[in-house]
Amino acid sequence: MAGRELREEGERLRRKEELSRKIKEQKVVVDELSNLKKNRKVYKQQPNSNIFFLVDRTETLSQCKNTLDELKKAHQEMENSEKTKIKK
Amino acid sequence: MEAFGGSSPLSPALVGRFRQEYEKVVTSCQEKIQHWKKVESDYEALQDRLHTLPNKLSYDIMVPFGPLAFMPGKLVHTNEVTVLLGDNWFSKCSAKQAVELVEHRKKYVRKMLDDLQKVMKNFESRAEFTDLQKMSDAAGDFVDIREEIEDHSIETKGKYGTAHKLHSKPKLSTVSEVDFPTNGSDTKFMGHFQSEEELWAHLEELERQELLGEPDRYSAAVALSCLELRKLQACDSVYTQRILPMPNTVETNGEDASSSEEKEDKRTDLNRMYRAEDCITQGDFHKEVTNSDLFGGQVNGSTFYHSDDEDDIDVGDNSVPTIFFSHTVEPKRVRINTGKNTTLKFSEKKEEAKRKRKNSSGNGHATPELPNIKTPADIYRVFVDVVNGEYVPRKSILKSRSRENSVCSNTSDNSAAEFDDRQGVQRSINCDEATQSDNSESIMEEEEAEGRQQLPKKLPPSSGTTEAFSRTVIEKEPLSPSLIPHPVIAHPVLPTILERKSEGVLSKASEETPKRISKFKAARMQQPS
Repeated sequence: MAGRELREEGERLRRKEELSRKIKEQKVVVDELSNLKKNRKVYKQQPNSNIFFLVDRTETLSQCKNTLDELKKAHQEMENSEKTKIKK
Repeated sequence: MEAFGGSSPLSPALVGRFRQEYEKVVTSCQEKIQHWKKVESDYEALQDRLHTLPNKLSYDIMVPFGPLAFMPGKLVHTNEVTVLLGDNWFSKCSAKQAVELVEHRKKYVRKMLDDLQKVMKNFESRAEFTDLQKMSDAAGDFVDIREEIEDHSIETKGKYGTAHKLHSKPKLSTVSEVDFPTNGSDTKFMGHFQSEEELWAHLEELERQELLGEPDRYSAAVALSCLELRKLQACDSVYTQRILPMPNTVETNGEDASSSEEKEDKRTDLNRMYRAEDCITQGDFHKEVTNSDLFGGQVNGSTFYHSDDEDDIDVGDNSVPTIFFSHTVEPKRVRINTGKNTTLKFSEKKEEAKRKRKNSSGNGHATPELPNIKTPADIYRVFVDVVNGEYVPRKSILKSRSRENSVCSNTSDNSAAEFDDRQGVQRSINCDEATQSDNSESIMEEEEAEGRQQLPKKLPPSSGTTEAFSRTVIEKEPLSPSLIPHPVIAHPVLPTILERKSEGVLSKASEETPKRISKFKAARMQQPS
């Protein structure tokens, strides 16, 4: 029982760390995109490859903002669940 | 895991060790899962990209060259995708096809993920169990169940075990040996099994008994394989089994044309095949005969199925039942290349001739009606011509010295031309010689000359009364040693449609022209002298 709990704790921590990392990354992306000049081209990398496709700046900005919001929500939920567990 | 089964209690060190190992496995599983998840997400992204790729003719991209540098460029031919299939093989396909390929790969990835998840779960539970062990010792909620097993009980268990095993042979003492029911089974089989399954069941039973009772007859392996084969073939149609040529039945089949063989195909069932196979495997005809008793019932059963009149099945009264297949002697169409596409048809005379010859020569074989053909020489001995009341064997056409001139040779135009010339000569000679020839004979000659190729004639010294241009083959001596390797021969055959006419004429002519000898015959006669 103790072992299981320990394992679960470790997992939670890992998840938390990952989540916070991602959130940080997204924040950076959003900031950068918003701070671009209007005439700049934005390229998006194709996953697992070295090719970059041209994308619309405003569109990608909005997309990145959305993902950031989602990540923040998830993080929030995790924190809430932890808090409720601790309270129990 | 056996440690949990009730042996001495585990030391904490061992338990700790267990846990460590399990943890290792679990972490490795997790890493793999991470990897596969990433792969899956990459494939998903690729799929999305491929979906939208053909939407535009070209895309502005940053083209990488080298690991660190990029150049702005365009992506063109957006529908043509080269896919790596592995081992440096590529496939060029459209974007849609590539999407399907990706889907297929994702399927595999999902499978891997599932397996890893299962493994991880498994090992996690095992790892938990080590903890539980500890817990049970402390808390007492889980009880370790132990059962002492006494040694003597193992033997009894073993004894009972063998009886329940599927393929164990029952003890011989308990099973009475069954005399293989030859006659009994015959009567039983004669009474026609109603269902195929009954037959199979009975046969299997017999097989088992056979295995138990008389192992020296044939190896258990062969019998078992036969059993299995039979089972397999029961599913397939019996009629499609091929026949393996069996020396035993050659005598019956020797004269039969392919049509009768086809009949045999149908008729043959597993029985024959097994017989043949056994023959081949064991190379012992006697054994084959003994095997036949095993299949005797089956043969009889087969008659039930096939109801073939031509089968004669004898189950001998002696200890070794044998099965004899006999066939009605059918007139055989033997096509010999006479150059004019004539065919030889067995006349009844020839069959009689054969039989008489057999009786006279004293060939004693199992089936008195049918000749025993074991060598090609036998064929020629058996297929004789009726010439002037005498039965003379035919010479092989291949052994004819004057084959070029013979009817059978159709090899070249030259030979035909030469043949025509010789015919002319021959005719002239014969005309000269046969001043007393009948008109019928001359007519015959003319007929022959017209369209048909002719036979050079040999007069046997024994008969001495045959004439030239008879269309039958006349050999010197039926059993003379000169027959076989004789370079000079000739005559093949060839009854044509005019045969019957000519035979009638022949008999007349032969009486009247004893002096006719073909030039070839003359040459040959000179040779030995």
